[in-house]
Amino acid sequence: MNDAAPRPPELELANVSRTYFAGGAEEVRALRTLDLRIASGSFVSVEGPSGCGKTTMLNLVGLLDAPTSGEVRWDGHSVGGLSDRERARLRLRSVGFIFQRFYLLPTLTAQENVELPMRALGLPREDRTRRAAELLSEVGLSDRGRAFPHQLSGGEEQRVAVARALANQPGLLLADEPTGELDSGNTRAILDLLVRVRSARSATLLLVTHNPEVAARAGRHLTMRDGSVVRDVAGN
Amino acid sequence: MRGPRRGRALRHTRLQVVLAVAAIAAAVALPVVLISVGGGVSAHELASLQNAGYQIVVSAAGLHGISHAHALAERILAVGSVSAASPVLSVDVDAYTTSGALSPVLAEGVIPAQFGPTLSPAERGLFPSPLPLGDPTDLRHFDNGSYSGPATYDVLISFPFASAEHVGTGDTLLLSPTTNRSLGTLYNVTGVFGVLPTLLGPTGAFLVLLPLSDLQTMTGFGPSASATVPDAADTVQVAVTGAVAVSPSALAVVRGSIQALVPLYSVTSLAQEAQQLESANAVLTGFYLALSSVGLTIGLLFLALVLLRRVEAEHRSIGIRRALGLPGWSIAGGIVREGLLLSVLGALTGILAGYLVVEGLATWATSTVQEAAALARFDPTVLAEIALGVAGLSLLASAVASRAALRLEIGEALR
Ligand SMILES: Nc1ncnc2c1ncn2[C@@H]1O[C@H](COP(=O)(O)OP(=O)(O)OP(=O)(O)O)[C@@H](O)[C@H]1O
Ligand SMILES: [Mg+2]
Repeated sequence: MNDAAPRPPELELANVSRTYFAGGAEEVRALRTLDLRIASGSFVSVEGPSGCGKTTMLNLVGLLDAPTSGEVRWDGHSVGGLSDRERARLRLRSVGFIFQRFYLLPTLTAQENVELPMRALGLPREDRTRRAAELLSEVGLSDRGRAFPHQLSGGEEQRVAVARALANQPGLLLADEPTGELDSGNTRAILDLLVRVRSARSATLLLVTHNPEVAARAGRHLTMRDGSVVRDVAGN
Repeated sequence: MRGPRRGRALRHTRLQVVLAVAAIAAAVALPVVLISVGGGVSAHELASLQNAGYQIVVSAAGLHGISHAHALAERILAVGSVSAASPVLSVDVDAYTTSGALSPVLAEGVIPAQFGPTLSPAERGLFPSPLPLGDPTDLRHFDNGSYSGPATYDVLISFPFASAEHVGTGDTLLLSPTTNRSLGTLYNVTGVFGVLPTLLGPTGAFLVLLPLSDLQTMTGFGPSASATVPDAADTVQVAVTGAVAVSPSALAVVRGSIQALVPLYSVTSLAQEAQQLESANAVLTGFYLALSSVGLTIGLLFLALVLLRRVEAEHRSIGIRRALGLPGWSIAGGIVREGLLLSVLGALTGILAGYLVVEGLATWATSTVQEAAALARFDPTVLAEIALGVAGLSLLASAVASRAALRLEIGEALR
């Protein structure tokens, strides 16, 4: 792709809260006054019980969602003022999302799912076919390219999702339990891949996991509870 | 969304798709039928106007309104470039065959020598040549308006009449202006002529042709003192020489000269009539299209509905695409493609249905409709325009659905 890939952004959540209004008076305060800085190129693990707001935070950082109050900043600039189109462009170029629920497109094959973001960037067919095949082989699925998502196991779907997230060589990798469905062998392989990709391009990796072994590979560890970060420690 | 629920939803959508395509098809079929039949009929009339053996028609208001037809024909004939001036008087009379059978016929009185040159090439082949009506110039009997000269009592009869009534050359035929047989005159059938199939006009089937002066004396539209119009005719059909016939400006000059002779009569060239016919047809075509736009609107509403349902059904896929940051056009593209596909499918179905309807009418409908349908013309340009128009309008429906797709809340769509 472009050799001069932009340096991953410095991420900042300033006084961010996110409240879901689920019809009527019922509201869920998924995040409450979160203040967080994530340095460019760092590897951060996020832990916490179910429903504590991990996915919500990833969505805010990855420009999928906007905070109810506070500001999300990339390199010091608020992203709140960006148009839908600009946000989409940034997601496509700079963010690799590994969704908790994979979110593969059911009507496309594994190979086509991986090619999709590259196609949107206008990569020539040959290049994207080759690159998609490479990525699939890196996640151990070189022979499953023609399979549709419903023909894949949960772990295979997850690995296709990882390959797709890496397609456009994003500077920011947001991985929402990327190894949740994997056995220890595959977990290690995927994690190695993510770590390798990160260090090769000094990408930022924000990784949600319940697996202490996985979390142990990160350079910084966040623990969340009830919409707040309750622990933030460095080191591995 | 798996299992039987999904199956039912799928059948549901399929039904909607079928309905939308059918609505568009119906909206397209209507103008296809109207335009192709209307266009075919007017093209046929146009062709008969353009192929006529005469180029200018003199007519008067009211029935048998042209007076002094013989003299007028002479004066028109004297105008430069005029090659024939044929007065025609048409009167309904009763015909009695020797067997006593009575049938109403349309009698046309003509000056044989002038009538012949105003026949179109196609008509000319249907008449015996020269016309076997004894007095070519009709001047012996007419005799300067006295009608005291000897009449020929010759009559030509049409082939359908001849075969229906079993009369032919050499037989006699009694023609009477009223149902009173005793007022009739006995004529000798001197020939039979064929008739071209006519369309939506007075049928030429039961037609007899006789010298103008004979018809005038028989019906009283000539010599009688009480006649309001002496030496009457309905029209004078004027043929011009070849070079003038194909030059609109030269034809206009001749028309002007004739008009100067008869300021109170209307003098029109068939080219003018053809032009009027063409513009009338254009107006009708526009009207048909406007009419079918009502159906088309309904079809497109259906289409928009189907596309919106599709957006709803695929909100998760759309959400994923948007989450990945795919540009709007790539998301709208699928919807637009689907809209185009369905509308083109509808348009093609409609064109096919219209074609089949016209073919069906041409085969099974009652005679007049059948004749009209048989003339239908399927102009590929017009059909392509209709299909393109429908496809273009489908973009509106796609735009509505695309807008909905692009306004989908990503978070909501992904839940
Ligand atoms: N779109 C939404 N509408 C309403 N409530 C929501 C929505 N998304 C999340 N929530 C609620 O917000 C809270 C935080 O959700 P979130 O998905 O961030 O949790 P999580 O930490 O990712 O949990 P898990 O580990 O189970 O994935 C939860 O209580 C959840 O029910
Ligand atoms: Mg989550």
